[in-house]
Amino acid sequence: MIASTNDKNCVVKPVALNKLQLCLAVIAVLITAFAGLVFGPADLGMRAVIQELLNRLPLVDFDSGLSSRQQAILFEIRLPRVVLGLLVGSMLATAGGAYQGVFRNPLADPYLLGVAAGAGFGATLAIVSGIGDGLGFLDPVPLAAFAGALIAVALTYTVGSGRGRLDQVTSLVLAGVAVASFFTAVQTFVQQRESETIRQVYFFVLGQLRTAGWDEVTLLAPYTLICITVIFLARRHLDVLTVGDEEAGSLGLNVRRMRLVIVVAASLGTAASVAVSGLIGFVGVIVPHAIRLIFGSSYRVIIPLTIFFGGAFLVIADLVARLILQPAEIPIGVVTAFLGAPFFVVVLRTAWKN
Amino acid sequence: MKFFFSQPDFKGGGIMKFSSYLLLILGAFSLVNLSCSSGAFDGQVPISGGSSGVEIAERIISLSPTATEILFAIEAGGQVVAVDDQSNFPDEAPMTPLSGYTPNIESIAEYQPDLVVASYDPGDLVGGLEALEVATLLQPAASSMEDTYVQINELGALTGRQSEASELIESIKSDLDEIASKKIGKGLTYYHEIDNTLYSPTSKTFLGKLYSLLGLSNIADPAIESGFGWPQLSAEFIIDADPDLIFLGNTDWGESVETVAARPGWGSLTAVEKGQVISVDTDTSGRWGPRVVDFLIFVRSAIEKILG
Amino acid sequence: MKAIDCKNVSVTLGGYEVLKGIDLEVEVGGWTTIVGPNGAGKSTLIRATGGIIKSSGNIKIIDKNVQDLKHRELAKFVAVVSQKPIIPMGMRVMDYVLLGRISHLGFFESEGERDVETVVLSLESLDASHLSDRFVGTLSGGEKQRVVVARALAQSSPVLLLDEPTTALDMGHQQETLELINQLRVERNLTVLATMHDLTLAGRYSEHLAMLVGGKIVAEGSAEEVLTESLVSSHYGARVKVIDDKDGPIVVPLPS
Repeated sequence: MIASTNDKNCVVKPVALNKLQLCLAVIAVLITAFAGLVFGPADLGMRAVIQELLNRLPLVDFDSGLSSRQQAILFEIRLPRVVLGLLVGSMLATAGGAYQGVFRNPLADPYLLGVAAGAGFGATLAIVSGIGDGLGFLDPVPLAAFAGALIAVALTYTVGSGRGRLDQVTSLVLAGVAVASFFTAVQTFVQQRESETIRQVYFFVLGQLRTAGWDEVTLLAPYTLICITVIFLARRHLDVLTVGDEEAGSLGLNVRRMRLVIVVAASLGTAASVAVSGLIGFVGVIVPHAIRLIFGSSYRVIIPLTIFFGGAFLVIADLVARLILQPAEIPIGVVTAFLGAPFFVVVLRTAWKN
Repeated sequence: MKFFFSQPDFKGGGIMKFSSYLLLILGAFSLVNLSCSSGAFDGQVPISGGSSGVEIAERIISLSPTATEILFAIEAGGQVVAVDDQSNFPDEAPMTPLSGYTPNIESIAEYQPDLVVASYDPGDLVGGLEALEVATLLQPAASSMEDTYVQINELGALTGRQSEASELIESIKSDLDEIASKKIGKGLTYYHEIDNTLYSPTSKTFLGKLYSLLGLSNIADPAIESGFGWPQLSAEFIIDADPDLIFLGNTDWGESVETVAARPGWGSLTAVEKGQVISVDTDTSGRWGPRVVDFLIFVRSAIEKILG
Repeated sequence: MKAIDCKNVSVTLGGYEVLKGIDLEVEVGGWTTIVGPNGAGKSTLIRATGGIIKSSGNIKIIDKNVQDLKHRELAKFVAVVSQKPIIPMGMRVMDYVLLGRISHLGFFESEGERDVETVVLSLESLDASHLSDRFVGTLSGGEKQRVVVARALAQSSPVLLLDEPTTALDMGHQQETLELINQLRVERNLTVLATMHDLTLAGRYSEHLAMLVGGKIVAEGSAEEVLTESLVSSHYGARVKVIDDKDGPIVVPLPS
């Protein structure tokens, strides 16, 4: 049967994000953000929260009944925390999706090229050397973590990017493993020698969204926006990479350059996120992969959706971290890990069925 | 699952606590009971290793700052040859680079001790010293004053200072009774911060029990039901609970009354507005020896000043 | 000007010299097929000509140096069909063939109507339109091969390099596909350089044959000149009978 091009109904459309999927994603973000503002160990009441939020609009003035302390909780603790969760979750998930495309591996995560190990090492050095103590407000830990992450990725790329006998993907992954092991070893050594600061180091390693005020958000926002934009624009090229470096090259894609651009954007954004909120694991793997299983394998669909669902996921995880054992908080990395383990089981079972 | 988190010395005491947290959260079922002795002293001292029957120890090494304070308080200082790098009280204690967290058995042995007192057993310290035939006494962090009294008696027995030990215990008891009699803090709530990660002791901990002697109520206590002795609190919970008093045990690490007041959202707290944020000494609030009295006296006078 | 002009092309892979100083020319609009036993270096020659692997010597495609051209430029001139194409999971045929159009799009551009139309025509001509909505991974071997050729055609490039383009196809589809490529070649003045196992088919559809053995071209010319019993049996190490037919020699392997 030959379909005639005159019969438009027979023509299959190229894959693209459809409006329904996008709507769902936006709604998910709105609902989770709202939940993050309404719920928490301090009971503010849904109506009061809505009224206070509306009060921010000009010409609107409700008396919500919240004391100034409670308003401080809403606007200076919860609101920045929700925004930070959206930024970090979005960045990590999008970077994860980008890595999965660039390395042709649905289980790649943004820490693959040594970002985590480098950041952990930088943070440990900063904490242990205590250089921040005399500087007052300037916290060197995020800067050191950021620098460490970038150094690690640069090292991985330098070591793993040669035109040797291995294809670039394999060689980068192996280099990443080597670099990560090295930084982890040095970090552990330094950490063990300085037992007083172990708690702070673990705090960083387990990941946290604890923020009060907008400092972290202002620090992170420019990186997140730029890096996510670059990855978004390059999403079509991630689909091209699925046919392998050789074929993609003969189709006309400059594979090495595209890979470099995407890795830089993803790593930069991840490094910034890690600097601000520590090593939150699983977001970068779970969210893009779940989207792939539910919505389809094209990166034109996956990338835009990870931007929204990644943020929503982390805000929910943070809510769970705050509420489940209140008034105590669980480190958010533990919550994402708890969600990650059963997720991998699901992935395996789906893979077996196919 | 209820865990008792007896708090070891703070300056760096984080390791045990953190690992215990991770175990809880990851659902491991190991019960970590750091308090091995409770109840009255029965004359028997649980020493490991050494030749049978240490009579009177003359060459003691203390790897526990609390044990150091006790030894000098029962006037056994002359029998102490070396103390660890955290034992900074009293001044005359012979501080060395030995570490209670990463002890090196050979360095310890070089001092030819006849008794080693420690509050943890990292890297199988006890086993290692046993192999070298050195007697070791483990005196882990106390979960209540009863444990402290047992430890004082143990050290008294081993140094031949039993009468000094009894006197010390009596003196501490009468001081504490006197402090507790007025319950000066009754009706006031408090939050004790050990670092800016917002970990806090509940009143089930040793430190919490001390505060209870003054009649203070701990805002972190609701976390006890979830099985925490040392929960990490969320900022909004602390703000919502609005404690009357905030004690900072972490001024050694850069926190101060000013930095706390500067935290976004914390400016609205009563304690900040009324100047009721108090720095407490990290050492006296982190150890379980005779200086708990000093700590409580300090806290009491701070409360008195506030009540006017 | 030749469409393909290889001079003294050598390729070393893993320390082993696979191609040794190859000289090969293909006229514009011509069809040359490279035949030869396994391990002769046929795929390597295709990949070198397509700029996929490095080679020494000089390779010109429509008078441009392959080694100098950027990927995007090269892809507008040369389309390569590999012997073992990688089949991405979860991609539909329409999107797979659409990949052929990327050399015509800028970084920020998406595919337009013209691109989709090109793909539709390409699929139509290979009798694969009904496969548009199927996932590439679920196709049969023959269907996959047609889809891969469709992708190469969608590139709209004047030179086609085909590495074993019909191996997985049944007789009927083999003939159909080669007929189609031939037809397009004539219509659009395409140049084809292919490798094939089947000597008879190779003889029928090419204007020119080159026999590659051990990295060197040992014979070149028309089908009648190259497909002789002595050449084939000595280089393939097989006993064959060559039957003359008006459409071209028929090579039949003889049982031992």
